[in-house]
Formats: sequence, C-alpha cells, structure tokens
Amino acid sequence: MNITCTTEKLKNAVSLAERMTGKALTLPTLHAILLIASGKSIKVRSTNLTLGIEIEIPANIEEEGTVLIKGEVLASVCNHLNDASEVRLTLEHDNLTISTPQHTTVIKSLPADDFPTLPAVEGEQVEIKTSVLQEGIRSVYFCAAITDIKPEIASIFIYSEENNLCFVATDSFRLAEKKISVKGIPEISKILVPFKNIADILRVLDVAPETIRIMYSRNQIAFFANGLYLTSRLIDGGFPPYQLIIPKETVTKVVLLKQELLNTLRLSTIFADKFFQVSFAIPEDKKTITLSSKNSDVGSSVSTVDAAIEGEPIEVDFNLKYFLDVFQALTGDSLTISFTQPNKPIVVRSVSDPSFLYLLMPTNR
Amino acid sequence: MENNLSQLWNTCLGVIESQLTKATFTTWFKNTGINKEEEGIIYVSVPNEFVREWLMTKYQKLILKTIVENAPHIRAVEFIISRLTTPAPVNENNLFSSSTTEHPSTLPLQNLYINRDDNLNPRYTFDTFIVGPFNELACASAQGVVKRLQNAYNPLFIYGSSGLGKTHLIQAVGNEIKKLYPDKKVLYTSLEKFMNEYVSSVQNNRQQSFQDKYCKFDVLIMDDIQFISGKEGTQNALFHIFNVLYEQNKNIIFSSDKHPNHIIGLEDRLKTRFNAGMTIDIQEPDLESRMAIIKEKSTHQEFPLEPEVLAYIASVVTGSIREIEGVLNLISMHSGMRQKAISLSEIKLLIKNSVKPKRVISIDSVVKMVSDYYNLDEQVIYEKTRRKEIVRARQIIMFVLREDFNESYPSIGAKLGGKDHTTVIHSYEKIKGELVSDPHLMKELEDIRILFK
Repeated sequence: MNITCTTEKLKNAVSLAERMTGKALTLPTLHAILLIASGKSIKVRSTNLTLGIEIEIPANIEEEGTVLIKGEVLASVCNHLNDASEVRLTLEHDNLTISTPQHTTVIKSLPADDFPTLPAVEGEQVEIKTSVLQEGIRSVYFCAAITDIKPEIASIFIYSEENNLCFVATDSFRLAEKKISVKGIPEISKILVPFKNIADILRVLDVAPETIRIMYSRNQIAFFANGLYLTSRLIDGGFPPYQLIIPKETVTKVVLLKQELLNTLRLSTIFADKFFQVSFAIPEDKKTITLSSKNSDVGSSVSTVDAAIEGEPIEVDFNLKYFLDVFQALTGDSLTISFTQPNKPIVVRSVSDPSFLYLLMPTNR
Repeated sequence: MENNLSQLWNTCLGVIESQLTKATFTTWFKNTGINKEEEGIIYVSVPNEFVREWLMTKYQKLILKTIVENAPHIRAVEFIISRLTTPAPVNENNLFSSSTTEHPSTLPLQNLYINRDDNLNPRYTFDTFIVGPFNELACASAQGVVKRLQNAYNPLFIYGSSGLGKTHLIQAVGNEIKKLYPDKKVLYTSLEKFMNEYVSSVQNNRQQSFQDKYCKFDVLIMDDIQFISGKEGTQNALFHIFNVLYEQNKNIIFSSDKHPNHIIGLEDRLKTRFNAGMTIDIQEPDLESRMAIIKEKSTHQEFPLEPEVLAYIASVVTGSIREIEGVLNLISMHSGMRQKAISLSEIKLLIKNSVKPKRVISIDSVVKMVSDYYNLDEQVIYEKTRRKEIVRARQIIMFVLREDFNESYPSIGAKLGGKDHTTVIHSYEKIKGELVSDPHLMKELEDIRILFK
C-alpha cells in the first residue's frame, strides 16, 4: 500500500471509526481499524459487533493494499498531524508508515484477514431528512431504559403514521413521544434502535448531508450518506402499545412558564429526599401552584409558581429528576401539565408545540 | 430431538474451539446454538447480523465440516438470527414489584404487552382458559391443532355468541404454537383490521403486497369473521389468501358468532371452505362452569368471595363470561374501597343493576313488529284464518313470546285470538324443531330479535 490523501478527511474518518471499535470485546482484532486502499479511495472500517461503520475518502492510490491498525494508536497519531494538508501512508513488512513533512511514524499492523466484513442489509428502503431523524431522536432518547433487562424498551421506537414519523422511548416510569410531519413518508411499521447505539448514530448524523438513505430489516439497519456506511443491530421485539396509556381526558390543566418552573424545581432538588420526591399542590381558584420538597437531613423548601389553572384541585408527587429531564425536549416558553387522577400518568406538553408529548407517572403516595 | 441437536452443537463447538484462539472463539461462537434441522439443513442461530455475516464468510466451511463429521446426513448449514439469551423473568418481576413500594410507580405498560408482530396478547393462554362441558369440544380441537399442526383439521372454525371466550381460545392457540414452534410465523388479526388493510391496499394500488404479506404466515388466526358478510372485495381477497395457505398446509383458524352457513352474504365458495375443516361451537356456560369461572377469576382478588356469594353470582349472572367479569370487577372495587369483604346482601344490592332485567314488552307490540316484518296487517294475526303465511307468522310470534319473554302458554293463546294453550305448545315445539334444520328461519328470527332491542 502506498497512498496520499487529505489529512483532514483521514483524521475525521479515523476519529469517527475509532469510537466504534469494540474496545470491550476480547478479540484484539476488533479493537482495530481496517484501512482498505483500492481504486480511487481509501476505506476506513471498524465495528464493535453491534455497530459497524465504513467511511470512504478520496485518495491518490499508487499501490493498493489493506492494513489493520490498533484504533487508539491510529486515532492519536492522526490527531497530531497538523502541519500539512496531505498525508502519505505506506505499508512495508507489516509496518504502516504515516508521513507528513514534519513527522514520520511507523505503526505495527495486525493480521487483517480476521477482521470481519460488515453485514449488508436487505430490506425496506427510505430516504429521510437528516434533521428529522436528529430532532426526533434527540427529543425522546433520554427516556429510554438503560438496562438490557427488557431490550424492547432499551431502545428508540420509530414508526410512521399517516404523514408523521413518530419517535418514542420509555423506561416504564416516563415516556416521550415526538411526531414529526413528513409528507409522503412510506410505511414504517417498526424500527427499534438499541439505546446503546444512539449516541454513535447521532454522531454520524451530525456529519451526514441533508438527506440520508436508510435500509432496514427486522434485525439490522443501515445508513448511507456521502461515502459513509453505518450499520446497527436492531431489536427484534415488540414495543408496548403505549397509545393505550395516554390519558384521554383531563381533569386539571395547568399552564406554567417554563423557565420559572425549571428554576423552582432546581431549588427543590436541594432538599429532595433519596427518592427525589417533590409534591405539587394545585389549589382551586388560585393563580399559583405550590411545590414542596423535604429531606430530613438537609431541610425543606416550599415555593409557589404562577400558573393558569383549570379544573379541580389535585395533589401529586413526582420524581424530580424525571421531571427535570423533560425540559431539554420542550420548546417554547410555556408548558401545560394535564392531570387526571393522583395515581394516573400526567401529560406534559409545550404550549406552542403539539408534536411532543411527555408522560410521567406520579410516585406512589 | 432437541437434546440431540444441542449435543451435536456442543460436540462441534468443542472441535471448533480447539482450532481457534480463545478470544476468536468466544467472540464469534458465544450465544450460538442449533435452532433446528430440516431436510438435512442445520439452522444455526446467532445473536446478530454481524456474527451471521462473519460466520458465513469465514467459518461456514469449518462449521459444516465439523457437523458432517458428527452427523453425516447433513448437507448444508444456514444461519438465522434469534434471541437465545432470554433474561430471567424473575428479575423483571423484582424490578417492577419493588418499584411499586420504593421507586416511582411505573407506567401501566406491562399489563398490555401485545406483540406487534403477531398481535397476540400473551395473557391469553390455555392455562387461564377454563374448560367446562360448554366449551370442552372446542378446547380439545384447539389443542389438537397445536399438537398436530400440519395434520390437524384445517381450517378450525369456532363460533358462539359474544363473551364466551372465542378470542381467548384462538389466541391461546397462537401463543401455544409460538411457544412450541418458535420459528412458525403466527398472525392474529380481526376481520375488521384485515378489511381496513385491504381497502387501503386498493387505494394505494398495493394489492399484491397485501396478499403476499398474509401468504407468508404459517398460522393465520382471524377473529370475528362474520363481519365479512356482504363485503365482496374482502371475501375475494380472503379467498385467494385462504387457497394459498391451505395448499401449503398452513393452519387457518377463524372465529365467528354464527355458523358459517348462517353468515348472510357469504359466498358459497367460502362457506364450503370454512366448513371443510372442523366447525365447532361454544355454548353458554352452565351453572357449574360459571361457578368455576367465578372462582378462578376471583382468586386474584384481595378479598376472596364467600362460597354462598359465589353461588349467588353464578345463579343470577347468566350468559356471557364478559358480564361475569364485569360483576367481579365491581365487587373487587367495592371491597377494595372499604378494605373488607362484602356480604351477600350488599352484593345483591350492588349487582342488581348488572343483572339483566327481564325485558318488558307488550304482546301487542310483539305482534306488531313481527307482522310488520312479514309485511302483514297486524289485525289478521288475531283473526281466525288458516292462510299459510299468516299461520307461519302467528307461530313465530308464539315462539318468540315463549322463548324470549317467558309468557305462559295460556296467556299467549288468550291474547292471540283465544287459542288453546296446546296450540301454542304445538307452535312453539314446531318452530323450535325447524330452527335446527332451517337456516333461513334462523336468520329471520335473528332479524326479528334485533327489532326488539
């Protein structure tokens, strides 16, 4: 192998691929990044056996070849190549030489035969705006269950409904749903993306062009964008029919200013007990609601927040952390909270944005 | 058989392990197993696509060679993805039950897990199905389907009035098949869903993909098939799907509230096909079965029911099992609220509204409705005439008055132009006898009964 390519492109590709190496796996081959030089480009490939990525960057190939290099080493070296816009890679006797005018590094390579090929996905094909995927995933992913006990909820559920693309995540204590209108979206009955892969997928979406091509089957999904191929395992299971638990009627409805509630909740956090409990008291015919929290070791706090209240008085306790989480996904400056009964889930929405819904279960009294 | 396969795989793994490094072996062969063997092909289950891809490209030859050495009749190896590692359900329960006491309560999701792939509700199993004389035969034939699968009667057609457990039974078949044969593709759907999907496939010009979708299932379970009546397009679509599945020996199970012969507007070619397998009905539960059902359903309650209460409920709440469930829910809510078991007298008070009131309707209005139905003048019924069509209508009136409204024979006779009570008895017996053999009469009677509601 003897090639030259743009330093910047190689650096970006290697740093992206390095994140997806299988550091936790026992097989040393999978800690590495595979470089394949052929035709007019060089391919950078890595996998951790739940995700796999291949990035193709244009290169000037004088001699074709394949080499497997320890991911960490390659990424660190690339990070320090700041002196030239071009870099040359040559392979001699199992040693890869990376050279710029200032630096020459020689890295030992690993046997490349044992590096796996990435699975090709056969199935449905969809083209989606990258921004839609990013927005949808970012709006809900904080709700997904982290443990693998129930894999179907340790995931983000994506499906289409009429002209909407819907994103849902839940850890069974709360649930977030985002519906984004996409004209003429083909039918997507179910895509369950494992939560563990979401951060890496978002990272790839950040560098993807405006629209991205997706292919998916029951077990696997692939993203295609500008010479980049990302494939992830999907979860083969059923997401719970969450629509059934969204309360249909509202007994009490409260409209609040977002920032004001957020500040108050943060104050309450200081005095939260080990279950992070905060009590909401909504009186009748008043213009404020009361939030209180108490910790026998620290002290207690009682705050009032201005609110527009409709309906019957109610008192409900929540987990503060779960309540604070929703603020990252709420747009606009005010929000509504709808209550039915003290032991039924509440619905939080932004006043200005009907596309997002947050369901939160009160803590038992 | 299954034991043999896992033994075979363990032997092969032993051989393969010795030829690879430890890290390579654990990375690629952890969580693999033999799923099944079919016609000389071994299906190896692997945890995901990455492993499948690599085993296929790199290790297929090695795996096949090792297997053939141990089982010479094997010709090929294929890889399929399946979840082998099922997490212990005990952990799950702990997580959720502890959460109700210490952690924030969970969203009530776990009660309504319905699998999106096959629409089956895992709650419906044979274990929770109560068998009595009224549904014994239906249950036995359903279990027969599970046991013999491809050699079983096909299609299985179960009918009976609403709330008698048809849905429970056919879903239990689906769940059991899924448990015993995990690679079989099962689909449970209702005719209504099927029809809506068909309509939208016509709208979008995707009929072919619609048919293909249904044809690929190994077991098709369709609920409430009676709604197909008069829907020609849907019947046509179902006809073709039925034929494809039937030819391939795939199992088809239907439920309906009527015998296929009594579904109006059902094309003959479908009728004969529905009748080709096993057609079986579920009756209303008798007193003992009702008691068994109530007992079973009330075991989950906080406050167990007294035997006399149990007997009382069984005697007053007749008819569908759904009604029984409703009454039990009511009782459990009340006892939960008061934190004690409720006495018989309180229960009597509580469920008096749930017990179906006897329908009160005047004899005159029955006469009017039936004569309207047959396009006759109301007055001619009371006249002394033996014209065939009038006699017929009169007999039906008598039958309805006796059967549905519990009028006494003499009072029916007196009202209908001073007939003797024996005439009434004769008419009643005659219609009752004819009902068994005459589907037209059955249909007419059903239509008439709808008028009363």
